[in-house]
Amino acid sequence: MSSRGKTGTLTRRQLLSGAALGGVSLTIGCRLGRSSAWEFLSDEQARTLAALCDQVVPADDFPSASQAGVLDYIDRQLARVYRRHRAAYSDGLVRLDTLSRTRFGRGIAALSVDLQFQAVTAFAEQDKSFFELVRNHTLEGYYGSPRHGGNRDAVSWRMLGLAEPPIRGRAPYDLTKGSTS
Amino acid sequence: MRSLLQFAALVAASLAIAVTCALSGASYYYSSQHGQGCSSCHEMAVYGAGMHGSAHRNGTCLDCHEASLATKLRHIRVHLTRTWPETIRLRESDVFAMTPNCQKCHQQEYASWHAGPHAATYTQIFTNAGQNSRQHLMDDCLRCHGAHFNGAVRDLVQPQNEQGPWRLVRSDLANQPTIPCQACHQVHSHGTPQTRPAARISVGDEPIPDSLAFYDRREGEHFAVAALALPVLHEGARMVSVSPDPRSALCYQCHAPRPPDTGTPAALNGWGSQAGSGDDRTPTGVHEGLSCLSCHGGHNQNARASCKNCHPRMSNCGLDVEKMDTTYADAKSPHNIHWAHCEDCHQHGIPARENAPASPLHGALAGN
Repeated sequence: MSSRGKTGTLTRRQLLSGAALGGVSLTIGCRLGRSSAWEFLSDEQARTLAALCDQVVPADDFPSASQAGVLDYIDRQLARVYRRHRAAYSDGLVRLDTLSRTRFGRGIAALSVDLQFQAVTAFAEQDKSFFELVRNHTLEGYYGSPRHGGNRDAVSWRMLGLAEPPIRGRAPYDLTKGSTS
Repeated sequence: MRSLLQFAALVAASLAIAVTCALSGASYYYSSQHGQGCSSCHEMAVYGAGMHGSAHRNGTCLDCHEASLATKLRHIRVHLTRTWPETIRLRESDVFAMTPNCQKCHQQEYASWHAGPHAATYTQIFTNAGQNSRQHLMDDCLRCHGAHFNGAVRDLVQPQNEQGPWRLVRSDLANQPTIPCQACHQVHSHGTPQTRPAARISVGDEPIPDSLAFYDRREGEHFAVAALALPVLHEGARMVSVSPDPRSALCYQCHAPRPPDTGTPAALNGWGSQAGSGDDRTPTGVHEGLSCLSCHGGHNQNARASCKNCHPRMSNCGLDVEKMDTTYADAKSPHNIHWAHCEDCHQHGIPARENAPASPLHGALAGN
């Protein structure tokens, strides 16, 4: 059979070659997609958000917000129950970076901690609603359950003196003592 | 008609080739590069990064994880439909599939664990007539036994009463371990591969495995031993000296004391949790301050020959400590080895030490 179809349509060889190529393409197709480790945020947005969150909960004897996984928490929620806040984050983080570049000549992620504090202080006055939103989400992530991505190793609970997981003996439902509970 | 059949056959053959290429290519791609292929799906990136920072960094995903055709297809479906959960966790079937893979590299540890009580199966734990007739089956059992089981205790064993006879609802779990490796080890935890020590004879403390962690069923997360709390315990009103060994914090998650029972002196006087209450076995008396791991093996909990770690063959009294009247020598002894006190043997009074100041421990004990 010639390599060209009799009627100008797909030949058997072309079809089989195409199928094989399609299979390989499907295999490596994921590689061509977005490579960010985040579900919603871009890497640049994540750096800006980390700087903002770390001014809400900075590191001391205990980890900062970003070290405790707050960005994981916010990112996962923005991909799920907080979808409604996506636009607010996309726009708000741009505004924060713009403010930082205007006042300090660099994006907030590249500033020193002191300048980050000044930038966030100014931003909190200028853009109160978004700052409040991020602050609330930061505190949710830092003090909430580790199962949602933040509060890594329950670090904030240990900071508060709470043992997590708590040491608790098994529930004393001993039937030999007449308990019916 | 013939050309239609030829076309149908061609389409079918093409699909078969495409699927074969995709699956075999995907298998190669995702099993190569130490898991970087798996991590290229961004929902897996954080888990891949964890593995690459762990003591298991030289392995690949498929060294530990099961990856059957059905699993791969499920992963593809979840990825394409973006329906992965907020936190991706191992299912119980994933855990059971992994356990034999742990054995491939950790044969000695596996054999030790398999010979010990922590390898007890679902049948042994949940259809135990002696236990079930004394205590209600409850979801809290799953905190330590079957922590990876995805369901409530009623989904696992019936009937939920104290008469029995009890049977497993999930008969496929009958011979599976209730405390698999992953109950106490977090494979992805940050750590470094073991290396040959610089000195031929190490004099440092025994290293604490980076992977040691408690799997908390409620959170679906591991908590590293360094993050786990040690209990504050009392013997009567006296605070007990608890070993600071972080490894024992892992033991305390299940071998835990209970708050004082109502009406007991400890409850009436507000003394707090008592050593030896509940499933706690914190040493008091002559062994106070020892870690669980001072005597018990980490994998099989065996305490055989542990006395010799500290004691000379003969005690100062000229007695063989292994043959003294304790539960070490005889399980029916009234003197539990965990809280044997000096006066258990020196019933006519504890002799004063010669040429040595009185031990503060003895003073504290004498005050009880």
